[in-house]
Amino acid sequence: MQAADISHHTSKRFNEDLERVRSKVLAMGGFVEDQLSRSLMSLVDADSSLGREVARDDYKVNGMEVSIDEDCSRILATRSPAAGDLRMIVATIKTITDLERIGDECEKIGLIAARLATIERPADRYREVKHLGRTVQVLVHDTLDAFARLDADAALRTCRQDRVVDEEYEAIQRQCITFMMEDPRTIRRALDVMWVVRSLERIGDHAKNICEYVIYMVHGKDVRHTSLDHIERELAERAVRRS
Amino acid sequence: MNSGGWLSLSMRLSAALAIGLVVGLIFGVPWAGVATVLAIALGLQLLHLLRVLRWLQADQTELAPEQPGPWGHLIAMIVRLYRRKQFHKQRLLRLLRELRRSTAAMPDGVVVLNPQAEILWFNRTAARLLGFRGKTDFGLRIENLVRQPEFVRYLRGSQYATPVIVRSSVGTEQHLSLQIVPYGAGQLLVLVRDVTREARLEAMRKDFVANASHELRSPLTVISGYLETLAQDTEVDPALAGPLQEMRRQAQRMTSIVQDLIELSRLESSDSDAVGQPIDVVALMAQLRQDVLARPQHPAQVLVRADSHAMLLGEDIQIHSAFSNLVENAAKYTPPNGSVQIRWWTDDRGGHFSVTDTGIGIASEHIPRLTERFYRVDAGRSRATGGSGLGLAIVKHVLQRHGAQLSIESEEGQGSKFTCDFPRERLQIPVKEAVV
Repeated sequence: MQAADISHHTSKRFNEDLERVRSKVLAMGGFVEDQLSRSLMSLVDADSSLGREVARDDYKVNGMEVSIDEDCSRILATRSPAAGDLRMIVATIKTITDLERIGDECEKIGLIAARLATIERPADRYREVKHLGRTVQVLVHDTLDAFARLDADAALRTCRQDRVVDEEYEAIQRQCITFMMEDPRTIRRALDVMWVVRSLERIGDHAKNICEYVIYMVHGKDVRHTSLDHIERELAERAVRRS
Repeated sequence: MNSGGWLSLSMRLSAALAIGLVVGLIFGVPWAGVATVLAIALGLQLLHLLRVLRWLQADQTELAPEQPGPWGHLIAMIVRLYRRKQFHKQRLLRLLRELRRSTAAMPDGVVVLNPQAEILWFNRTAARLLGFRGKTDFGLRIENLVRQPEFVRYLRGSQYATPVIVRSSVGTEQHLSLQIVPYGAGQLLVLVRDVTREARLEAMRKDFVANASHELRSPLTVISGYLETLAQDTEVDPALAGPLQEMRRQAQRMTSIVQDLIELSRLESSDSDAVGQPIDVVALMAQLRQDVLARPQHPAQVLVRADSHAMLLGEDIQIHSAFSNLVENAAKYTPPNGSVQIRWWTDDRGGHFSVTDTGIGIASEHIPRLTERFYRVDAGRSRATGGSGLGLAIVKHVLQRHGAQLSIESEEGQGSKFTCDFPRERLQIPVKEAVV
């Protein structure tokens, strides 16, 4: 199933509309990726002005969501799409909601980073958080790539990556608790760090949701709330049947 | 061969016609004889034509039929044409393959786009740098895969003269330079280069300047403080008064250089566009005039001319520092009997702030380099006036962040005119004026 499938249409305008919506979703995704990387940069480099800038720019993400939402409603109303096109519109509407939430989490990270920049950084300069952040960045990037390529296999692989994020989140949480017990003066900072990693973990979950929409869009199968192994088995069976 | 074919054919035909005529005459029906010969000749020619057509249809050039006369000639010509075409095709294919191979092996990434910005082809380096994958990514829009907002903006705009630098989105600290080159009928070529090393060096340079100037500030403050105390101390040997005065002056100059360096590095460190708070340029001009008049030595005339009440959208501290740098420069290089005019006006293209003086002017060869750091037209004189050599560099950076441009007109001995041209988006026109 490739991009060519949705670009075969009797109405050229319809095609262009769908393509434009897709590009807009991915442009929004690109902006959210940028927000994520800048918010992490502001934390690691203790750059409070950058953190505030990220928080201030969140309104742009919201604006993009509203605009894409309108486009989708218009397509639904005027073109009454069916089958794959309908799935694409439905998946898009859900995807932008998750992207917007990722934007909100970035805003939170930016604000906390701006606050953390005013107090002393720990000796390891948030190495663990940085590592988790990188994992989440790759996750979001791969998710959007899967969306762009309509690649359900990649989406499934990316879904599995979310488990790594959850594990790292647990580890940092335990580490923070240890810090707080050792030295109560670090509680303030440790609590803020906990908020940051919590946001990162949530971003991972939202990325996973988007991957599920990609699978739905390509295969027409709702895979929410089912185990990954189950999905994989079912998709493999379909492939056999089709061939 | 050409004439030979025709000659033999026409000779044979006329011989056959003569025989036909003679035979016809013998039987008393000359025309029937001629007609029979002509019919046979026509039949023969049609047969040849049929053979040639069959041969062409079979598409097997090697098995050319042996044909007499002009037909053989025709076949030979077709074969030659075909061979020549084959030869050219082969050569072109070889050339194309060579070209592809060489572009594929290029150290820079190359992506070919159609007018809709869909990916037609890319080489290995581009695939590695941008994370493209073999055949599956052909036909996708490039902005769907290279999603950095800077690049998307660059692609949708049409200012392709300079490359855009983007951070790699996948966690790594990689910096990529992407340049679009339009060619042919709306096709686009994207050149991708890894500029991580250059970006890191540039960042190091900026960090160094910022850190060094910060570190220099505190010792300088201490030195200036003690010099101040010493200058006021009456017990100090009067013979030292002169040197002390000079030391204070130099310390002050150093402080102003360090301050300018700090400001410059702050301007450099944020590459985003300046935010837009409305600035009242008219009030700012009045204040700048006051500042100039407060100087111990100032030109006799400082004129302010406000032709517009439009507000400028920008960062007020930066705009203030840029404008005051321009005005102070003008005041510095204008003799006491000269005049300085500050003007603010708007037109269709945007807002303009200009400072005109009747000072010493600048020779034309210096003008392009004026905004370089520490560039001095006349080292002795500008040091005497106490400039840091960074003023115009600051002006340039501030204007860049506001999407504005600096233009300089000057004639030696006559005076200079510095104009800042702001785009329309940076203006906030008052309602009254807009109605008029």
